[in-house]
Amino acid sequence: MMARALRSLASGVAAAALALSQPAAAAPQRRPMHIMSMTLCADLLLLQLAPRDRIASVTYLAHDGAEALFPGADAGIAVNHGTAEDIIVERPDLILSDDFSSAVTRRLARRIGAPLVVVRDARTFEDIRKEVRLVGAAVGEPARAEALVARIDADLAALAAKPGRPPRRVVAWGGGDSVPGRDTLSDRIIEAAGAVNVAARPGLGYTSFDVEQLLMADPDAVLFGGGGVVKPSLRDDAGQHRAIRQRYAGRRIVFNDTAHTCGLPQSVRSALDLRRALDALPDRRPVR
Amino acid sequence: MTASRVTPWIAALVLLAAVIASLFLGRVNVSPVDLVQGMLSPNASLAGLVVTELRLPRAVLAILVGASLGLSGSVLQGLLRNPLAEPGLLGVGNGAALGAVLSIYYGLSTAFPLTTPLLGLVGAVLAGGLTFAFGGRSTLTLILAGSAVSGLTLAILALALNFAPNPYAGYEMNIWMLGSLSEKSWDHIALAAPFIVAGLAILATMGRAVDALSLGEVQATSLGIDLDRTRILALLGVGLSVGAATSVTGSIGFIGLVAPHLVRPFVGHQPSRTLLPSALLGAALLLAADIATRMINTESELRLGVVTSLVGAPFFFWLVVRLRKVAP
Repeated sequence: MMARALRSLASGVAAAALALSQPAAAAPQRRPMHIMSMTLCADLLLLQLAPRDRIASVTYLAHDGAEALFPGADAGIAVNHGTAEDIIVERPDLILSDDFSSAVTRRLARRIGAPLVVVRDARTFEDIRKEVRLVGAAVGEPARAEALVARIDADLAALAAKPGRPPRRVVAWGGGDSVPGRDTLSDRIIEAAGAVNVAARPGLGYTSFDVEQLLMADPDAVLFGGGGVVKPSLRDDAGQHRAIRQRYAGRRIVFNDTAHTCGLPQSVRSALDLRRALDALPDRRPVR
Repeated sequence: MTASRVTPWIAALVLLAAVIASLFLGRVNVSPVDLVQGMLSPNASLAGLVVTELRLPRAVLAILVGASLGLSGSVLQGLLRNPLAEPGLLGVGNGAALGAVLSIYYGLSTAFPLTTPLLGLVGAVLAGGLTFAFGGRSTLTLILAGSAVSGLTLAILALALNFAPNPYAGYEMNIWMLGSLSEKSWDHIALAAPFIVAGLAILATMGRAVDALSLGEVQATSLGIDLDRTRILALLGVGLSVGAATSVTGSIGFIGLVAPHLVRPFVGHQPSRTLLPSALLGAALLLAADIATRMINTESELRLGVVTSLVGAPFFFWLVVRLRKVAP
C-alpha cells in the first residue's frame, strides 16, 4: 500500500513537472507575475500550475499538503496567513481566495488593482476540472491546466476501463463527528473507486456517524485519513477504538487527507489508489 | 426505615435503571434479544461487539465520571458551606482540560497515549494546588482563588486554541471541550479508573469533616478537625477524580452542582448523608444525559456537556430564586 502510494506520488510529481515544463502556448500577453494564494486548496492548485518564481506566497497550511502530494514544490516560496495585511505587504497582481474572503480583503484587492479569483470547494470531478481551468486561466497557464485535466480524464478512464469486483462497502472515518456522506468529494472518490460509502444518506453531506453506526453498517473496510494538513489529533485516538481494532484489523486503508479535502488532480489519483487497496482486500464472511 | 436510609437505595435503583436503559438504547436500533444473545454468546457477533465494546464501557465510564462529579460537588458544598460550589469552582476541571488539550494537540499523546490522562491529572492537581496556595486560608479566599485559577486556565486554553496547529485542530479542540462519552472504550477506563477510584475513596472519607464544618470553622477545629488537612484532602480527591474524568471525557458541567441539591431534601441537611446518594445520582444523571445524546437524532452529535448545561442552567436559576426566598 505504502509502496504503491509512493509510486503514485512519484508519478504525480512527474506529471506535474511535465506540465510545468510544457511551453505555455496559449498564454495571454500579460501574465500575473506576483500571485498570492490565500486558501489551502488554491495553494495546491497554484503550486501545480504556476512556476515558483511567479508565486508571491501561499498560506502557512500549504507546506504539509504539498509535502504529502508533491514534496518540495513549495520550497523557497513565502508564506502568508490569509490576512488582509498580507496583501498590503506583498502587493500581489493576482489573488486566489475562496468564498470566505473578508470584505476587507476584497476591498484591498480592488484598491491595489489585483483581480481576486474565487476558488470554490469541489464536490465532483467536474468541479475539479472547472477549478483547474479557472486557476490555469487566471495565472496565464491554460495549457498546463489542460495537461492536468487530461491527467484527470486519463485516471478516470483507467478507473472506468477496469470495473472493480463486486462493490466493497467502506466508510471514510476519523471519529464520528464529521464523516463524509453523500454529495462530498470523498463520496465521489469512493464511488469512482467502485465502492459504496455506507455513510452516504440522502440529503446529508458531512454527517455524524458514530462507532456504533459504523459497526452495525458492517463495512468491508474503514478508510482513515493520514498525512497532509491534519496533524496528530483526537481522530487518531478514535481510530484506535478497541472495537474497530478488533473488527477491522487488516481492513484499514489509509488515504491522503489533502486529496479528499481539496479538489485536485490527485483526488482522482486517490480513487485509483483506493481501487488497488480494495482489490487487495481479502474476502470475509459477514458476521451477524 | 427513614427517608435518609432509603434515599441511597432509591438512587441506586435509578442508577440501575439508567444502566439497563443505556445498554439497550443507542443510535442504532438493535433488538434486545440480539443484544442479550450477543452478551452471552462466546462467538463474536456485531450485537455482542456493540454491547460489550461500546455501550458497556460507555455506561461504566458514565458511572465513574458522574459519581466523581456528584461526590465532588457534595463534598465541596459541605466544605465551602456554599450551595453553589461545584468541582469547576476550584479550577480543577479546567486545569484537567488544559493538560489534556495540550497533550493531544502538540503530539504528546501520539507518542505515548497515557500522556493525555496523565497531563490532565497534572493540570488538575496543579490548578487545585494553585487554588489552595493562594486561597487555602479561608473558605472565601478559596472560592476567589478558584475563580482566578479557572479564569487563568481558560485563558491558557484560549491561547492553545489561538495557536492550534491548523484550523481542523482548533475545531477538534472546541468540540472536545464540549464533553462526550462517545467513542470511549475500555482502554480509556483502564487509564482513568485508577485515579478516579483513588479520588472517590479520598472523598468518601470526608463525611465527618464536612459535618463538623457545617457548624463553622471554629467549631470544626474545636471538634478536632484539621482544616488544612481537610482542604488538601478535598482538593486531592476532587483533583484525582474530576481531573481524570475530565481528561478522558472533556468538560461536563452542572452534574456536580445539581446532584447534591436533588438528594438533600430526602436525606436532610447533614452533609455527610448527601455524599453516597449524590455520587449515585450524579452517575444516574450523567447516564441519562448520555442516553439523551444518543436518542436525540441530530445531524451533528449532540455533545454531553451541552445537554448537562442545557438542563443544569435552568436548575441554577431555580436555585437562585429559591435562595432569594429563604435569604433573610
